[in-house]
Amino acid sequence: MKITVCIGSSCHIKGSRQVVEQLQFLIAENKLKDKVELSGTFCMGKCQQGVCVTVDDEFFSVSPETVKTFFESEVLNKL
Amino acid sequence: MKTNELCADIGYLSLNHFGEQLCGDHVEVLETPETNSTVVVLADGLGSGVKANILSILTSKIISTMLSAGLSLEESVKTVVETLPVCSVRGVAYSTFTVIRITNNSRAEIIQYDNPKTIMLRNGKNMELAFEEVNIAGKKINKAETQLMENDVFITFSDGVEHAGVGLSYNFGWKREDIVDYMSTFWDVGFNAKTLSTILLEHTDSLYEGKPGDDATVCTVRIRKREPVNLVIGPPANRDDCTKMMSLFFAKEGKHIVCGGTTSGIAADYLKKELRPSLNFSDPDIPPTAQIDGCDLVTEGVVTINRVLDYAKNLLDDNNAYQKWSCKKDGASLIARMLFEDATDINFFVGKAVNPAHQNTDLPITFTIKMQLVKELSECLEKMGKRIKVCYF
Repeated sequence: MKITVCIGSSCHIKGSRQVVEQLQFLIAENKLKDKVELSGTFCMGKCQQGVCVTVDDEFFSVSPETVKTFFESEVLNKL
Repeated sequence: MKTNELCADIGYLSLNHFGEQLCGDHVEVLETPETNSTVVVLADGLGSGVKANILSILTSKIISTMLSAGLSLEESVKTVVETLPVCSVRGVAYSTFTVIRITNNSRAEIIQYDNPKTIMLRNGKNMELAFEEVNIAGKKINKAETQLMENDVFITFSDGVEHAGVGLSYNFGWKREDIVDYMSTFWDVGFNAKTLSTILLEHTDSLYEGKPGDDATVCTVRIRKREPVNLVIGPPANRDDCTKMMSLFFAKEGKHIVCGGTTSGIAADYLKKELRPSLNFSDPDIPPTAQIDGCDLVTEGVVTINRVLDYAKNLLDDNNAYQKWSCKKDGASLIARMLFEDATDINFFVGKAVNPAHQNTDLPITFTIKMQLVKELSECLEKMGKRIKVCYF
């Protein structure tokens, strides 16, 4: 599984660093480093829905507050 | 007149006498493109505070203006002697000075009156300038001349630097040799002239234990090769111009910095290389950088450039943030090093596309702000003595 987080200007201001850090933590905590690949990307062109995150090719709008629920429903549940 | 590839990077900074609001030292830099000469004058007015401040400004302004206009040293010094107001308390009019005149980026003349002798480092080693004494308007003036080579560094300062630490860390202040030793450790790190001056002055301040007993000023002149750096930010207003913009950008000699998410996508497409963003937040507030083969640096746009602008303003002011940007690995620090230290000539390629996604949000990254950032940054860089060109697309 590949999770991509936008680190462009707009998403950065909306908290992409916190999203990335929490995902890094959650992936490590659940020992998923060999199953989940986390990467960054510049602007996905959907700045208004930021922080923009894709799981494989599916788009999600995530915020630092919703990362945990997002991770549980979209990552843990689907592995 | 054909010139060599060299140029002078000049940077200075002053420390005020403890408790004074004005500095009694003054540095004046005057470039005359017609004759390809640069005159730097460091003057140290008698005493401290407002009187010293006026004396030093008058002295440095008169000498730099007259010498740049091609008048003789004799006439310039006589004018200073006749113009300076006489201090009512001390009954004398007095300001010491040091002049560094660079002609054609190939010769330097050093003219000194009562200031500590200028230090010259050639390839990091102390090189004694051969001073001869001449008498002008009753004043004993020391003159020296030298041919310039790449990496020559001149460090000139007011006596407040040498006297630092008297009775505190040293009995008689630190000696000229100590200053030479101290500065020769930094000459090849890549620091620019302003930062070298800052480093010497920070140490001076610490020897004074933060309470300078005299105004202290350092002016550094680094002789270096011209180096171009190119920076592209923002997609072109007309998307059909992408190829044109990128081909002009990558055709330029020198380093290439790509700023902005969309812009780096366009650059990667043009080069037919992969864009590889990292997730490394070396500075929590600056988005991570990315890599594209063929680009020296790829960063996010507005947030990063905004920070670079902060660093640029700080450098022109008291330069106390150099320790941050001169070693950190975030995008803004990397850009700052390339622009402030490596570059002498900077070409900005600015795309005027309006990012529709940015305009409709309440985020502080509107189109106007982006244009304003580039304008302010290029003004700051010009003040640092860099040659700037800005092209809009």
